[in-house]
Amino acid sequence: MSYKGKVLSVLLLLFVAAVSTALAGEKNAPPSQKIPKGAKVFVAPIAGGYDNYLKDAIAKKKVPVEIVANRDQADYEITGTAESQKASTAKKVILGNWHSREEASIALSNIKSSEVVWAYSVHEEASTHGKKSSAEACAKHLKEAIENQ
Amino acid sequence: MHSRKLLMSPVLTALILYLAIYPLPARSSTSQENNSTQNQNKAAETGKPASSGQAKEPASDIKSAPTDEGQLATVNNAKIPSYSKVYVAPIPGGFENYIIAGLRNKKVPLTVVIDRSKADYEISGVSDSEKAGWAKMLFIGSQNSNEQASIKISDLKTGAVIFGYSVHKTNSVRGKQSAGEACAKHIKQIVLE
Repeated sequence: MSYKGKVLSVLLLLFVAAVSTALAGEKNAPPSQKIPKGAKVFVAPIAGGYDNYLKDAIAKKKVPVEIVANRDQADYEITGTAESQKASTAKKVILGNWHSREEASIALSNIKSSEVVWAYSVHEEASTHGKKSSAEACAKHLKEAIENQ
Repeated sequence: MHSRKLLMSPVLTALILYLAIYPLPARSSTSQENNSTQNQNKAAETGKPASSGQAKEPASDIKSAPTDEGQLATVNNAKIPSYSKVYVAPIPGGFENYIIAGLRNKKVPLTVVIDRSKADYEISGVSDSEKAGWAKMLFIGSQNSNEQASIKISDLKTGAVIFGYSVHKTNSVRGKQSAGEACAKHIKQIVLE
């Protein structure tokens, strides 16, 4: 092989190595976790109508996002689960507690990239205002996540 | 003598009731953990794999290690590269959301995606929640639930299960949230940072 051929082959190898390294780095690069202010968010239906509580809470806590009714118009989507358990007779009689037990977990994902950019779960053993309290906790933390990034 | 009997009878009744209402899964899981530990000890002593009625089963690559509240198993000390894309499959009761929130809360360097086709790894599993009954409230004074969950991580390219973890929490103060965070905490151990 001539000198030029050797140089070309070495250069080609270096180029391939550089490209593969760059691709590998891109694959495992940390995702951009920023949620822009005014982002269009679609709240997917959650069991027990929790999505409605969430929408109200987002409005009440003045979270800087825009809620849209159509998923196609949205940049982000909120999905999740919620569970509510009313105080049983035993809880009322034995523990003297009338408040319900609330559990919820939500995740905010980027629709285009399919990446989950934020998630939060809440557990309230004796929730004074039931689902409203847990939804407002979610909204409060979402607001903090947007404003503190 | 008669007064002693009178004193003993409520104590005995309370003891019987306590044994009757004490959650069976908790007792059984404790005994299972003890059994597995004993099997591991025996295996260590004899240098043979621990057997539970399946003596002819081939030796597994899964290494298990007891943790504070659950069982952890990894295959050949497998590791997940940081910021790998992970898909969390739906789990009955919406437990997948608690795992996702746990991953974020425990700052696990993984990227969770909602599209399975874009993922490198998949987390799947089962979970179960048992609410406190009246007897538990009356005798123990606890309204916390019992939580148990078991998850596994599989490599979507090869289809191999590389990690498994199960958690059991008696009197979980934060319910599913605690179990989800326990899973996330142990997933973090196999992620390369």
